Amino acid sequence: MLEIKCPYCGKRSQNEFSYGGDANVKRPALGKEVSDKEWDNFVYLRKNPRGNHSELWHHVAGCRKWFKVSRDTLTHEIYNTEKLNEEF
Amino acid sequence: MTAMTPLESIHKKGIFGNHHKKNKSDLLKISEVKALTIFQVFQYKRSKVNFENINIDGIKPSKQSLAVSSNEKTRILWNAPRTWLVVSQNENIFKTIKENCNEENFAITDISHSRAVIQIEGNGATEILKKGCPINFNEFKENNCAGTVFQGINILVEKLSDKPEKFNIFTLRSFAESLYFHITDASLEDGYLGV
Repeated sequence: MLEIKCPYCGKRSQNEFSYGGDANVKRPALGKEVSDKEWDNFVYLRKNPRGNHSELWHHVAGCRKWFKVSRDTLTHEIYNTEKLNEEF
Repeated sequence: MTAMTPLESIHKKGIFGNHHKKNKSDLLKISEVKALTIFQVFQYKRSKVNFENINIDGIKPSKQSLAVSSNEKTRILWNAPRTWLVVSQNENIFKTIKENCNEENFAITDISHSRAVIQIEGNGATEILKKGCPINFNEFKENNCAGTVFQGINILVEKLSDKPEKFNIFTLRSFAESLYFHITDASLEDGYLGV
């Protein structure tokens, strides 16, 4: 069980949160001509790093805010959590 | 039409569980809190209202997370950034909220009928909550509130007093029955009084 520090509520148990995927994925710009390959990369292709990974988490049972988590996929150690408008 | 409270047909009064050889006044009390008016107040991102000037029923909502500001009839619970729950026994609270929070800057939603409120009171109350809730209740003081889960059910718990320990637990109306059974089941070990 992970203990995640919500930037708004403080340290809480993992079962209050929901995982929201890779935080580095960026949607192609609106109005831009997007090739099938670019779209495919955006929708399906993900890196699967061994080590530090930026993730999105949702405090679904608490403040219902999304935020960013920097987590080690190998040890599950959480290095940092930030609000979405902040940088790691 | 007569309004039915969420636990009207479920909550039973009396003594239950392992209450033998115990003084009735020492038992945990479980009750449904009725006749509460609950409003969710959300301040829009674009709002330029100075937060310090907001005053509802003589109370200033707290900007600090997990904090509750209160007077005798009304409690304002921090729910999320820029979001508060105004819980009141005052029937005219909507008028008061509307006077202080205009429509251009705030979204006000009446959620009185979509929530069930269970109150547990007594010195074992924290232990009951610890059985199903992952929050650190050792650091949970009077006038704290937190959104969390109890046996997988989303709840909002607030501590009304330290001595005796008194909590209000808010949940969605549709989860009320399930939450009630989880709480009463956890309370059987030490016995409880349904009031």
